Amino acid sequence: MKAVAPFKEAIDTVIEAGGDAFKLCYQCGVCSGSCPWNLVRTFLPRKLIRETQFGLVDLESDEIWRCVGCRTCVQRCPRGVELVDIMRAIRRIAVEWRAVPASLRTAMTSMGTVGNPWGEAREKRADWAKDLDVKTFTKGTELLLFPCCTPAYDPRARVMATSVVKILNAMGADFGILGVEESCCGESVRKAGDEALFQSLARDNITAFVENGVKKILTVSPHCYNSFKKEYPEFGLEFEVIHSTQYLAELIEQGRLKPTKELNKRVAYHDSCCLGRYNDIYDEPREVLKSIPGIELVELPDSREESLCCGGCAGRLWLETPKEERLSDIRIEQALEVGADVLALSCPYCFLNLEDSLLTMGKGDVLELKDVTQLVVEAIQE
Amino acid sequence: MEEKKIGVYVCHCGTNIAGTIDVEAVAEFAKTLGPVAVARDYKFMCSDPGQAMIKDDIRDHGLNRVVVAACSPRMHEPTFRRVCSDARLNPYLFEMANIREHCAWVHEDGGAATEKAKAIVNAAVRKVYLHEPLETREVPVNPNVLVVGGGIAGIQAALEIADSEHKVYLVEREPSIGGHMIQLDKTFPTLDCSACILTPKMSAAGSHPYIELMSYSEVAEVSGYVGNFKVKIRNKPRYVKVDKCTGCGECAKACPVEVPFEFELGLINRTAIYRPFPQAVPTAFVIDKRGYAPCRVACPAGVNAQGYVSLISRGKFKEALGVLRRTMPFAGVCGRVCTHPCELDCERATVDEPVAIRSLKRFMADYELRVGREKATPIEKTKEDKVAIVGSGPAGLACGYDLIKQGYPVTVFEALPQAGGLLRYGIPEYRLPQAVLDNEIKYIEELGVEIKTSTPVTDIGQLFAQGYRAIFLATGAGLSQKMGIPGEGIQGVIHALSFLKQVNSGVKVSLGERVAVIGGGNAAVDAARVALRLGAKEVAIVYRRSREEMPAIATEVLEAEREGVNIHFLATPVKALAQDDRLTAIECIRMELGEPDASGRRRPVPIKGSEFTIDVDNVILAIGQTVDKAALPKELTFTGWGTLSVDPVSLHTNIDGVFAGGDVVAGPADAIGAIAAGKEAAISIDRYIRGVDLSEGRPETLKRVEKVAKEGVQRKARAAMPSLGLKKREGSFAEVELGFDEKAAMEEAKRCLNCAVCSECLECVRLCEAEAIDQGMEEEIVEVEVGSIIVATGYDAFDPSVISQYGYGRYDNVISGLEFERMCNAAGPTGGDIMLKNGKQPSAVAILHCVGSRDANYHEYCSRVCCMYALKYSHLIKERTDADVYQMYMDMRCFGKGYEEFYKRLSEEGVNFIRGKVAKVTDRATSDEEKGKLIVVCEDTLLGRIARVPVDMVVLCTALEARADALAVARMFSLSLSADGFFLEKHPKLDPVATMTDGIFVVGCCQGPKDIPDTVAQASGAAARALAMISKGKVEVEAAIAVVDEEICSGCRICELLCTFNAISYNEDKKISVINEALCKGCGVCAAACPSAAITSKHFTAEQIMAEIEGVLV
Repeated sequence: MKAVAPFKEAIDTVIEAGGDAFKLCYQCGVCSGSCPWNLVRTFLPRKLIRETQFGLVDLESDEIWRCVGCRTCVQRCPRGVELVDIMRAIRRIAVEWRAVPASLRTAMTSMGTVGNPWGEAREKRADWAKDLDVKTFTKGTELLLFPCCTPAYDPRARVMATSVVKILNAMGADFGILGVEESCCGESVRKAGDEALFQSLARDNITAFVENGVKKILTVSPHCYNSFKKEYPEFGLEFEVIHSTQYLAELIEQGRLKPTKELNKRVAYHDSCCLGRYNDIYDEPREVLKSIPGIELVELPDSREESLCCGGCAGRLWLETPKEERLSDIRIEQALEVGADVLALSCPYCFLNLEDSLLTMGKGDVLELKDVTQLVVEAIQE
Repeated sequence: MEEKKIGVYVCHCGTNIAGTIDVEAVAEFAKTLGPVAVARDYKFMCSDPGQAMIKDDIRDHGLNRVVVAACSPRMHEPTFRRVCSDARLNPYLFEMANIREHCAWVHEDGGAATEKAKAIVNAAVRKVYLHEPLETREVPVNPNVLVVGGGIAGIQAALEIADSEHKVYLVEREPSIGGHMIQLDKTFPTLDCSACILTPKMSAAGSHPYIELMSYSEVAEVSGYVGNFKVKIRNKPRYVKVDKCTGCGECAKACPVEVPFEFELGLINRTAIYRPFPQAVPTAFVIDKRGYAPCRVACPAGVNAQGYVSLISRGKFKEALGVLRRTMPFAGVCGRVCTHPCELDCERATVDEPVAIRSLKRFMADYELRVGREKATPIEKTKEDKVAIVGSGPAGLACGYDLIKQGYPVTVFEALPQAGGLLRYGIPEYRLPQAVLDNEIKYIEELGVEIKTSTPVTDIGQLFAQGYRAIFLATGAGLSQKMGIPGEGIQGVIHALSFLKQVNSGVKVSLGERVAVIGGGNAAVDAARVALRLGAKEVAIVYRRSREEMPAIATEVLEAEREGVNIHFLATPVKALAQDDRLTAIECIRMELGEPDASGRRRPVPIKGSEFTIDVDNVILAIGQTVDKAALPKELTFTGWGTLSVDPVSLHTNIDGVFAGGDVVAGPADAIGAIAAGKEAAISIDRYIRGVDLSEGRPETLKRVEKVAKEGVQRKARAAMPSLGLKKREGSFAEVELGFDEKAAMEEAKRCLNCAVCSECLECVRLCEAEAIDQGMEEEIVEVEVGSIIVATGYDAFDPSVISQYGYGRYDNVISGLEFERMCNAAGPTGGDIMLKNGKQPSAVAILHCVGSRDANYHEYCSRVCCMYALKYSHLIKERTDADVYQMYMDMRCFGKGYEEFYKRLSEEGVNFIRGKVAKVTDRATSDEEKGKLIVVCEDTLLGRIARVPVDMVVLCTALEARADALAVARMFSLSLSADGFFLEKHPKLDPVATMTDGIFVVGCCQGPKDIPDTVAQASGAAARALAMISKGKVEVEAAIAVVDEEICSGCRICELLCTFNAISYNEDKKISVINEALCKGCGVCAAACPSAAITSKHFTAEQIMAEIEGVLV
């Protein structure tokens, strides 16, 4: 029987990596009780924090890659422990020790070389917009539209970016994209532990922003929104950042955008973690949906602060999840349970995950997935 | 000036100072300073030998100033000041130099620290050189004590002080003392019944000769200073005389109003008159009255609508009618024709629709007629002076009614053959059957009012000659206004009032087939609907404004349209067209609405060229009524509108003893307005006859209740008034509105929110044999003088509905700690049975610890008692049910005497302890055994497994938090709040009962959550402190305070604004600021702020501080 003594070096490494929040944890277990993983398998964040408190984390285990950064635990933690930061710190150490699962490593490498996680050529980054009325951002353009790697490259999610363009043009807004000068916001890889990669991506982006005189950014993805708004100021620069749902809500409140076409659908809105729990944006997307005539807005069982994560944050999107363990499957079931015709979304990662689930569950004929902006565009078209 | 001889003593403080600073060097340095006569260093200056050293030197060397360089003055300044005074040196000629906390303890470099210590000593020497001797003052201590709060803490403190034969004022804001402790069932760890151990103390406190218990009272204002506080206490009106009430409870049985019971946490309701619990001290009941209901305030006549509506809801129809008859006798009449201003302000409308007050009033009258009205007992005419009333309309009759009730002989003179005025001659039978009016006029006559019909009065002088002392003119405005259009005199053109009068008098009126009625008021609508019933085939109303501006009652207008009346809006006739001297048509013109006129309504403007014709056989003009000036005495003065001019408050005309009211003064208005005027006239006439000022205290304004509780009120549609079918109405004057039946009336009355709570139905007064109820009681402010104050205001329970994941408020069987206590209590809502909301016993119960406590999202502190009461609940559940009990805990805090043993006992009882804070409570089952249950989700951290525990009931161990009004109370008593919101004690370890305000103590949970043993101990402690002050009889007041130089002070009062201790006041005579020596704490803010440098901070004068600074820098 070996005596268990705190492994001081390991503890110090975690603290250096930014995970010193573990000191506050008093092991109550609310995080484990709240974690959505326990709906489909067992995952005890408390145990991982306990191991961290003693420097006993096994860097080779799958468990350190389980956290999706949904923040449900942080919201409820009675000591205010930032668990997501601790997970990030542990993963930083794993990345430095090159103990990263293969599929995630591929995405990280891709980001480092071509600026996006999908392995697509950088030169093709602006292709999604080539047939649309979108100009390149130059000094003096008012608004930068940042489409996110996923809508830019993935045809399934493209509609999220094209819908925003349609609205911007309908409003006569002065906007542009940086195209090939854009790099991934890096939000997910930072949470996945590759701090160096995040720093380099951020520097590239900020350089591009500053050189082009960017002041205000409109993002399609809540992850880009969170990154630019909360994390980029660490580099000393602040930009005005808004998400597409906030932009729409503002236009509708000011009366400049009036959806008139009746859509006659029962719509359930899925709160994305990055908009909701990270940034307290719950009402704007709902206001936007309520303004569309004929829409009956219903709430999913776990909504707003209790929203069930789709399972795509913090790098999880690039890690294998067996079919029985998909949180997005449960979300589709919940949407069907409330009798929704449409599940409305506001995040490209949610889009990918839920699309996947919808197809594998074979429910594509009874439930549709639509981005909030996409619905608005449908309601203003002639 | 005397030569200054300073003694400097440098303390080693063991190694605390000497370990860093070279103390001998500092002493050597001190010797070099001018006026220093002696300089020594010593190991422990505060010790006896150290102190003796100073005393010897003062005596032997004639020292007249002393400096001790050692620890902080907060530690030992009092010690060395005492040393000086023991050696006959004024204690203020001493200065402490802090070379420990300010030097040795904060520096590591010994050399630099020593230099700094020398500078500090230099500064102290220069300052003490300038010290002046100061005298402390003493103020006497008033031996009375105020205890604020009658929970266990307050009761304990009060009893201890009272037992030593000193007077205590015990102020409690609830109707009874007992606080939260009396709500509990059993107490841990002994499982004593809470009431059994508390009620003897409550009883003792209630009857103690030295305790003046002021229950249902609050402290309103505190002024003064330690030993001499002046406190204003607001005694809220109970409306029940405490010394008369026997507590029999008959009143509550009769009370028709129910509201949620606060003592029972809203689990059940109580009546407006209530006693919080059976063992209440005092035992008297109390009436919850929150002002006046909006319906009552809105009624011009002040009818207590809530009173009769609440009684109807209980089936007490006869008593309800009695409530109305206190104010006026027209239940049937007004119940049919009133314009119901009450319904327009009804609070129920904010939930769904207003209560049908008017129709409920009618119901009462109809009910009485149905069961048979007993003949009214004539009222004895106790007054000699008789009163004449001219006009038997609603104004005149209401006036007579009020006067006869005061015993005045009244005669009403009526010109027409029957009494009633426009009620009889203007309102059609299908709206107000004359039989209903007859009944109510008969009632008035039975009481003793004499009505002389067919007796017009033309000469009021005659009336005075006949011996009438006062006259009320209520002749109305019965003259039809002329239109002034060509053809108005043609045969076939009728005026509405005369038309209606004829029909109501039984005169046969023949109309043609086509009738047009001009006007938009009730008379127009009445005329139109009468015309239909008389056989006219086409009836139209022509009104010059739009539907929104129509003054007629909206429901009447709708019924007219349903009956077939066609309304032409925005049109008016310009001339009547005739053929063979008979009316054939009217030419009308269309109108549009322009700017508002004097009445506030938009003025109709004719549209040029829009003329059109309506073929008619008759035109009925109903465009307005005026006063018949010719019928009134010429001596009276009239207004520009042709109405009688009167004093707006007393209704006195220009002729002495002649009053007027109703339409004759106001112009055409509604019945209720006339009734209100009649009542005002009655007051004026009574005062006039008694020779008392007519206007004093008038008009009476009633305060409308501010906030009306609407939580949990379900929407329910207003009862629909059944009405006669359209076919049945043809050619018939049968009443159209049929009235509610008993069931519908009671259901509708139950919709009333009882805004004012007590409805003043006075049933309790009627039934109280002890005659203990005084509905007219008023709030009293009492001022007391005390020497010390003990604040024991207790705690509030945290509301767990903010923690949405626990489902409190969403799931029926998730309950809070106090709710569980009430359930267990034999006197509580379930009689002590632990049961689910559906009445069944639970088969499994989960008790969740730390709900709102130890949580950065709500309260960071631990509430201290929850672990123990969770164990207690587990025991009670095990004792009374077969349920499984689970406790989800983070820690088990069983720190007190017998507490750990109690924990062991509960482990033996088979309670399941799961270490894990609950993440959520849900009803979404994931397996069969979870169906229909509440599932508690947590991690069993000891097993390292997620636990989903299916239970029937979840009890939340809710936190204890500071009272919602803690900040306001703190301001009143000059207390501070600590970060957790509770009152701040002077020192958390060494002085937990005193506060920074001398003479004011805090005890019990208001200072921080604690259990009963600790509360009682703290209360005894505060009592001892108060008694110590009383025993000494005097209190020393610090001499280092600020003083104003009267010569220099300019009276700008800046200092007054800045003083946080309220120590500065303004002397109006001398026009200068004055500092209260007892309140001043010497903080120095005023001295710093004074623009004229008129204020000196004694012992910290500008010169002294400058000297210190020089000493440090040089």
